[in-house]
Amino acid sequence: MHELTKKFGDFIAVDHITFQVKKGEIFGFLGANGAGKTTAMKMMCGLLRPSSGIATIAGYDLKTQSKQIKKRIGYMSQKFSLYNDLSVTENMQLYGTIYGVKPAALQVRIRESLKDLGMEKYADKLVGAIPLGWKQKLAFATALLHKPDIVFLDEPTSGVDPIVRREFWDRIYKTASTGVTIFVTTHYMDEAEYCERICIMSNGKVMMIGTPTQIKTDIGVDSIEAVFSKFVKR
Amino acid sequence: MKELAMILKKEFWHILRDRVSLFLMLSMPIVLVLLFGFTISSEIRNAKIAILDHSMDSQSKNLIEKISASGYFQVVSYPDNETEIDRDFKSKGGKLALIIPANFEESLAKEQIATLQIINDVSDLNVASILNNYIRSVIYDFTSDYNDLATDPLLFDISVKMEYNQEMNSVYMFVPGIITLIMIIVTALMSSITLSREMETGTMNMLLITPVKKVYVVIGKLIPYMFLSFICTIIILVLSVLVFHMPIRGNLLTLFVLCVIFMLTSASFGLMISALVKTQLDAMMMTMMGLFLPTVLLSGFLFPLDNMPYFFQLLANVFPAKWFIIAIKDVMIKGSGLHEIWLYMLILFGMAVFLITISLSRIDKRRKK
Amino acid sequence: MQAVVVDHISKCYSDKVPALKSVSFAVNQGEIFGLVGPDGAGKTSLFNIMTTLLFADEGSVTLLDMDVECDYKKVRAVIGYLPGVFSLYPDLTVEENLKFFATMYKSSLTENMPIIKPIWKQLTPFKTRKAGKLSGGMKQKLALCCALIHKPEILFLDEPTTGVDPVSRKEFWDILKTIQKQKITVIVSTPYMDEATRCDRIALIQEGEIIKIDSPEKIVKGFEGSLYSIRVKRIFDTLKVMEKCPIECIFYPYGEYVHAVFYDKNEVTIPIRFADFMKDNNMEYSDMKKITPSIEDCFIELMERRKSE
Repeated sequence: MHELTKKFGDFIAVDHITFQVKKGEIFGFLGANGAGKTTAMKMMCGLLRPSSGIATIAGYDLKTQSKQIKKRIGYMSQKFSLYNDLSVTENMQLYGTIYGVKPAALQVRIRESLKDLGMEKYADKLVGAIPLGWKQKLAFATALLHKPDIVFLDEPTSGVDPIVRREFWDRIYKTASTGVTIFVTTHYMDEAEYCERICIMSNGKVMMIGTPTQIKTDIGVDSIEAVFSKFVKR
Repeated sequence: MKELAMILKKEFWHILRDRVSLFLMLSMPIVLVLLFGFTISSEIRNAKIAILDHSMDSQSKNLIEKISASGYFQVVSYPDNETEIDRDFKSKGGKLALIIPANFEESLAKEQIATLQIINDVSDLNVASILNNYIRSVIYDFTSDYNDLATDPLLFDISVKMEYNQEMNSVYMFVPGIITLIMIIVTALMSSITLSREMETGTMNMLLITPVKKVYVVIGKLIPYMFLSFICTIIILVLSVLVFHMPIRGNLLTLFVLCVIFMLTSASFGLMISALVKTQLDAMMMTMMGLFLPTVLLSGFLFPLDNMPYFFQLLANVFPAKWFIIAIKDVMIKGSGLHEIWLYMLILFGMAVFLITISLSRIDKRRKK
Repeated sequence: MQAVVVDHISKCYSDKVPALKSVSFAVNQGEIFGLVGPDGAGKTSLFNIMTTLLFADEGSVTLLDMDVECDYKKVRAVIGYLPGVFSLYPDLTVEENLKFFATMYKSSLTENMPIIKPIWKQLTPFKTRKAGKLSGGMKQKLALCCALIHKPEILFLDEPTTGVDPVSRKEFWDILKTIQKQKITVIVSTPYMDEATRCDRIALIQEGEIIKIDSPEKIVKGFEGSLYSIRVKRIFDTLKVMEKCPIECIFYPYGEYVHAVFYDKNEVTIPIRFADFMKDNNMEYSDMKKITPSIEDCFIELMERRKSE
């Protein structure tokens, strides 16, 4: 059901990449700046059209059924997430409605997820006024409001303090255990270890895919950082 | 000084590389002049006129000929009686009727007086009053022609004499207005937008952190856009002279000095605005609402100031455009010289000095926030 | 002489949350001083105050014996600043940008070329490219050149490595080391704890307060409690179980390991007691060993301790 294969040809940013991700898996995307991570992610979200290749996401074909796909995925990034001049609840209402959650159900879900986050006291605050760590957790919860099958997280923990980062990963795990597939990019190498499988990209090509332990033993080094340096060395 | 030269150079790089903006800025005056000149013109040509001639003598024929030759009127009918005038207004689209009394030539010669009656279609008040003025001026012409030939001068009771703008040409009305608008767009709007862009992107901080004098940064911002708007002004003047045959009666140098002073005033308005706001969008909105609209509405360019409530007449004094438009009209139409408009120049210059002083201290105070 | 003296600086913005609460520290000349803390900790406000762009509500900052408020003109001539967001002109070429800032500092491209030479060499192939079209790493290098072109005595770098991949980050820090050799004092902020070890001294900053200032080695030495790393299969399940651990401790995931800080005085018996606890809860683990903490461990430990106090 959740097979995903993609090939892109003659595309400078992303060059013939192929992989599969299982349902409920936490899949990490690693690579230097400009390695094509964001481009690949954007294509999978249907924000960019692939120039060639096939991809099946949540059982839908990427080329012909991108509308259905968009309903089944959530997206969150460090740069584009929430409107700073809207309140927490307003932001959630906006995104929930955009993704077609029915008003009654949306009310319940917003209340639930705020309670879950322990953010009830922030409910009417402007998003711009709450600390970054909370903002990122909130953005994640918002991306989950429409109960998507797959969530794409583009550098979700960039600049967040180490404790909040760990809390964030705790949430990722909880979400994945409910059967949601998680795609994540990060620059923190320790976070790569939390992924079930990782994919290392360089110059638009997939260099390696596997579990962190597997990759480390294959290369013969003891940290993902060392693996990374090996591939990205120019 | 080397720094100022470099800032100027940088600013011109910005301007020259943003081709779209540059193109818009330079084409705007052309488009505006042509648009105003050809469409919003208050000049009326070939207005339909009905003439009821009771006398049918040589002088009345002379007058009718004069009317149709003026270019303003096209005689569409010669009704036989007054009820037919009403009919021709409705069926033939007549806007104006002239009734020439019986024995026109005879009464001119014997009594030196004749009474002409003009009937107006006043459903459009503006058109009616313009046409009224036209016909009066034609009759005035006719009178003076007659007086030149006759031994006894005529006593016509039409006393209107068109001053300065004898041709009744509306180019005179809108060219100063367009120059004002363009200058405000190019100097005030552009300088406030580009300054607040530097604040938004953080390059302003990079500049402030260098030991360069703040005045240089500001002057470096103002001069290029003043220069651009000067080019625009020249484009407008050339176009209005070439296409609309507008004569410039005053001294060109006086005109340019006046323009430069106004540019400085409006650029300092832009400077002030960018010192108040934080983003480009705010700067744009503020320039539009705070400067552009009042200029259009309160400068006497589209709507005569004398007809406004007293409060607005007072308010208009605050905006530089009012003073500039009075002064530039004086120079262009009346041919006034420096000694006649120095007061307006002084007002504009004073405004500029005041605004620049305030905004320099405002940019400094931002650090306190 | 001390290059920078920050004395009880406080700053409060209009939304009433204090950005900086009575921050004090001093930086020695020729040092690489790191301000380490997450986004929103007040690092950027502090930078703006030190670089004369912002006035503090209270306290004073002295750079090379000059007050940043009174002598700001003199201060500006001796500092270089690399802001957190790209702040050069994107529509100007690489060379034009550098030339522009050189002139602003009454300097020229050739005068201080030796300082920026190693970085500039990498940029030379892109000399005529517009700055906005450079890649992230190259933009950063250009900005660094612009900040160094007047040979400043103190260089301020606000999060130069945020969002940059680990390899480029390493490269950037190597560059900083060469800058330090030119006798330039470097003050750098970063949210990445692992970069802290490359500074001579660091200040850990959180919510507008400095929670620790010292050399990275000393901070590690001053770590309280004993730190163990434990290799486990299912990290997040293990963490849940560990919440019930009877020994006083804090724990958190760390890569593929769980790190646990134990505060128990009876240190020797910790591994045994922990083993018993895990066995009782049917949790598998392997490789439990005592390790020296990283700066990240120190930060977490300090934070957790403050939270409980």
